[in-house]
Amino acid sequence: MNNKIPNFVKTNQFGLLILVIVFICIFSFSTDGFTSRFNIYALSRVVALDIMIGLAMMVVILTGGLNLSLGALGVSAAMFGGWCMETMGIPISITIILVLAFGSFLGWINGFVTVRTGVHSFIVTLATMSIYFGFMTLLTEAEAFRKLPEAFTDFGSLKLFNKYVSPLLIISVLTCFVLYYIFKYTDIGRKLIAAGANPDAAELSGISVDRMFIYCHMLSGFLAALAGIMLTARIGAAIPSMAGHLGFDWLLPAFLAPVLGGTLLSGGKVTVFGTMLGAILVTLINNGLYLIDVGEFWVRFFLGIILLGAVLLDRAREYFTVKNSIVS
Amino acid sequence: MSALLKKDWFGLGLVLIFGSILISLFKPAFISPFNLYVLMLSVSLMLVVAMSQMIIIAIGQMNLSVGAIGGLVAISFTGLMEVYSMSILPAVLIGLLIGLACGFINGYITVKTGISAFIITLATLYIFKGMNLGITEAQPFYEIPEAVKFFGNAKIFGPIPYLVIIPIIITVLMWILMNRTSLGRYMLAYGNNVQSSELIGISSTKIVIYAHVISGLLAAIGGMLVVCRLQLGTPNIGDSWLLPSFAAPVIGGAILAGGKVDVIATAFGVILVSIISQALVIFKIDPFFVQIFLGFMILLAVFINRYREYREERRTKVFSDE
Repeated sequence: MNNKIPNFVKTNQFGLLILVIVFICIFSFSTDGFTSRFNIYALSRVVALDIMIGLAMMVVILTGGLNLSLGALGVSAAMFGGWCMETMGIPISITIILVLAFGSFLGWINGFVTVRTGVHSFIVTLATMSIYFGFMTLLTEAEAFRKLPEAFTDFGSLKLFNKYVSPLLIISVLTCFVLYYIFKYTDIGRKLIAAGANPDAAELSGISVDRMFIYCHMLSGFLAALAGIMLTARIGAAIPSMAGHLGFDWLLPAFLAPVLGGTLLSGGKVTVFGTMLGAILVTLINNGLYLIDVGEFWVRFFLGIILLGAVLLDRAREYFTVKNSIVS
Repeated sequence: MSALLKKDWFGLGLVLIFGSILISLFKPAFISPFNLYVLMLSVSLMLVVAMSQMIIIAIGQMNLSVGAIGGLVAISFTGLMEVYSMSILPAVLIGLLIGLACGFINGYITVKTGISAFIITLATLYIFKGMNLGITEAQPFYEIPEAVKFFGNAKIFGPIPYLVIIPIIITVLMWILMNRTSLGRYMLAYGNNVQSSELIGISSTKIVIYAHVISGLLAAIGGMLVVCRLQLGTPNIGDSWLLPSFAAPVIGGAILAGGKVDVIATAFGVILVSIISQALVIFKIDPFFVQIFLGFMILLAVFINRYREYREERRTKVFSDE
């Protein structure tokens, strides 16, 4: 009996997909304007960023660690990009390469210190969070870069597919596919997962776990920097406070998306498309809460409840699948 | 003497004494009564917050919602007094009760589901903070009884503020809890190794819930002390607690994996962080540097701890070879 249910149904990606569809139905029937072209376009701009942030956290969760400095890192990279373009007059394409390299470098610092000290990455990235954000504020004197090249800001407000979709979303979805390919089919991707799943076993089979962990942190920095650039393009300016104080505004979506998507916090398991669905769900709920008009101040409360509900549900699902498999 | 050298707080103590002497040589204003008063105020407040985090670190977890609990209690405390014109004592009791309830929720969910405390407290951080903003709509309460204002700003004698009384009592109680009671020992055992602590008959449920309840209570006290100090209840109380709450126990030598915390070292960590922040202000250094500095301090502490462990390992190796 149990064998007839396809495996996909048992995964939490399936549950997520159902949830996403349910929420879309609820919001489109209960609110005006949820399905309007304007709202869908706005959603695609937001969801693009949430996916990228979620992926950036996901690759560090793979190591069993976390990256609190995500927001601070992303904003620092974005401000660096703003400085390159506005003050130095560096062309856009080179700037983007520089920013991504810079983000990877900051990620490398996180990874290097974590690996060398053997301290949990929570403490390391807590420290680097305040260091990155502090230096960024100090160097920029908390001033925004608002005179960015038009070609760059135009890209952020471009509308594709009958004006429904932002190009930013396409970047995020492409990134998902690339990451999926890396983790599924490449040697390095499998090594990364092996190192996260069981560091001792990986070390014994000849994988340099330390190097893999550093790669994960670098990848996280790279993706956070990419998110920073995308946010800059979306806003049309590089603003020090665009991710809140110390980049904290990014933290909830960063954890929500991978956790909802079924990434194990203990490491060793990534779900790229789960993270994507998780990010979509978070954005939908956020957007829907505003449209239902629960009041700006209660949105946070509901997001917290949803995170809690999601992890509890996931736990229950795990519990029942284990129970079922024992019975059969 | 050699026993003293091994203590976590010994090195920190030396740094503190020499550091303070050095700073006051360059800037005599550092030991002016006013500056000492300000220093003691900031130490008092951070001490309670650091203890609130320390007890969770002791059981090998982390509590992101410390600031959110503090903020929620702070606005409830002032709201009860202003909107419902409640007298101080019942307002304090209800404040403590809210802290206790918040801590209980954290602990209960964490231990019953087995989900990482990080995720649970991240969720409750948003829940508590959301309640705070939902209730206040981001507006502060200004009507604070005179007695509360007095307690937050008056001095006992010289530069010593009344506000230090409660943090000192808490520190002593925490020291007794961690060093002289079986509950404290069990918490450390649990933080060190969950499985073996369960095997010797320690109830995980009890330990985790107790630790989170104590953490919630301390966060509540911290929130109310900030109200006394600021003379108003703003919704953003507690927003900036996260970094310092971890900084002090880590600098004080707590290992984040749990099972090794030192109350005195944490207190020294708080004092060190406060002195440095203060010194940077006196030397007219950009306030953003304070933040950067705090970050570097944590990293430095982490490296020093690592080095000490490494040395310890080598020493025990030599010993076993003989």
